[in-house]
This record gives sequence, C-alpha cells and structure tokens, in this order.
Amino acid sequence: MDETQVLELVRAKLDEIKVENASAATMDTTWEELDVDSLDLVELVQSLEDEYGVRIEDEQLKGVKTVGDAVRLVIAQSGAAA
Amino acid sequence: MTAMPRVPPRDGCAVVTGGTRGIGAAVAERLRADGWPVAVLARSGGDVRADVGDPEAVAAAFDAVEARHGPVLVLVNNAGVRRDGLAIRMSSEDWQAVMDTNLNGAFHCTRRALSGMLKARWGRIVNVSSVVALHANPGQANYAASKAGLLALTRTIAREMGKKGITCNAVTPGIVETDMTRDVVDDLVGMVPAGRAGTPQDVAAAVGFLCSEEAAYVNGATLAVDGALAA
Repeated sequence: MDETQVLELVRAKLDEIKVENASAATMDTTWEELDVDSLDLVELVQSLEDEYGVRIEDEQLKGVKTVGDAVRLVIAQSGAAA
Repeated sequence: MTAMPRVPPRDGCAVVTGGTRGIGAAVAERLRADGWPVAVLARSGGDVRADVGDPEAVAAAFDAVEARHGPVLVLVNNAGVRRDGLAIRMSSEDWQAVMDTNLNGAFHCTRRALSGMLKARWGRIVNVSSVVALHANPGQANYAASKAGLLALTRTIAREMGKKGITCNAVTPGIVETDMTRDVVDDLVGMVPAGRAGTPQDVAAAVGFLCSEEAAYVNGATLAVDGALAA
C-alpha cells in the first residue's frame, strides 16, 4: 500500500465519523484544523486497525499530530505485521 | 393475551447484568416489552454466564451475545452484591468483592459495549446505583463507595461520549423489595415518604425511559427512584 491509498482511506474514515471537511484533508492537515478530538482519533485508529489488521498502541499515538503522521504509522505497522 | 412486542428502536440488542432476579429481571422484562432482544448476563443462570469482575469473561460473554443478536446498543449495569459490616471490622476481601462486582464490573461491561455503540452512533447505558451513594448508611462503606463510584463513572462516560449519540445515566433506587434486601426492608420502610417500599418494576420503568429514543437529551443524569427518600 502507498501513502495515497492510505490517505484516501483515512479521509473516508474521517468522513464516516462525521468529521467536517474530511475530503479536504492532506498529509499536512493537523487534527486541530479538522477539529478531531481524542475520542475521534481513537475511533479513527480502531477503524484503521480493523481495516488493515494492524495494532496501534496508545503510546504510538502520542506523536501523531497530522493526517500524514497517521498514514505513515499505519504503513509502518502493516509492514511490521507482514 | 400478550401484547405484540414493539419493534426495537435500533438493529442490536440489550444486555442486563445481574438480570436473573430483582431489579435486573424487571429491567430485562421491560426492555423485552420495548422490543429489544435482551441477553441477561449473570454469574449463574441468565442467558450468558460471566463474572462481571473478570474483564476476559465479560469480553467473551459480549462476543457470544453479539454473534447472536448483533451489537449491544443498550447496557444496564445492574449486577451488584452486598457484604455489609462496619468499616472498622470490614475485611479487605469484603471491600474488594463489592468493588469488583459493583464498580469494576460496570466499567468492564461499559468499555466493551462502547465500541459497538460508537460504530452505531447510538447507545444507552444505565448504571443502577443506590440512594446510599448520596446518603450514608452505616454498615455499607463498601457498597456505598461502589455505588457512588458508579455516579462518577456515569457522568464521565456521558461527557466522553456526549457528541456520539451515546448516553450514560444512573438511577438511584431507594428501598426496593428484592431477595437482596428482604432482611432489611421492614426496618427501613418507615423512612420512605411514599409509605411503601419500591418494586423492581418502579425502577425498571425509569430505566426503560432512560434507554428509550425519547431520552436522547438526558445524559449524565442521576434519576432518583426512591419514593422521595433522598428528597
């Protein structure tokens, strides 16, 4: 999987959890700009875990400030799982 | 003649912990009448067996319920035990046993239920607390602390989930005549302004309302069902 594919999926998941302007999110968009709070982030992570069969620990989420951070984390984790 | 069951408000089911008798059984009956498929989760008997104090047993029980009925969208944390005694003589085991079932159990079940509710963008959690959470009753330090903890848990979950269509409320029953209280009801009923002990159905009616579609804007509330005992 590449960044574009995962970004597209993250946008779709954000839209599912009713985040406004999800479709406009880029790799550099921050959660703050999207008004994504901690619970939204947990929800996003759970759905990404289900989608890709990866496991993301709370500890790993600490540095995740942007959409791109999440995309790269998912790719790294799925590589680790493979 | 039995009335036709109403169609459940959502595609999912209800779990009532400790629902084999007393308040829990009345709540289960009420939710069934409201159209929900109901799974009673109890240590013995019930539709699915689990000790709510054991998080792994709770997860397995929820897995079994969801495989059969779909997501748990209504959760009534009712399982409760009493181990009364003055604090000065209370064993750590009696303290812990009450905490494990009454408070930890509610947390385990709530945590497990929330992910399905989140996905559905709809959920109703009702914690069955007690009047002693608000007004001290000597001999029940463990029970009162566990039930007061439930009120704080209730309000916190309500805040955390408030924007996701999930509500979490509590009821505080007063003197209710059940197997668990039969030994003390006669001594206490004189204090109740209503002049009688409550019935499990009195409590179930309040819980039924809090689980309904109409109660969507009632969140983080504590509803007294006590015949004005605490008023």
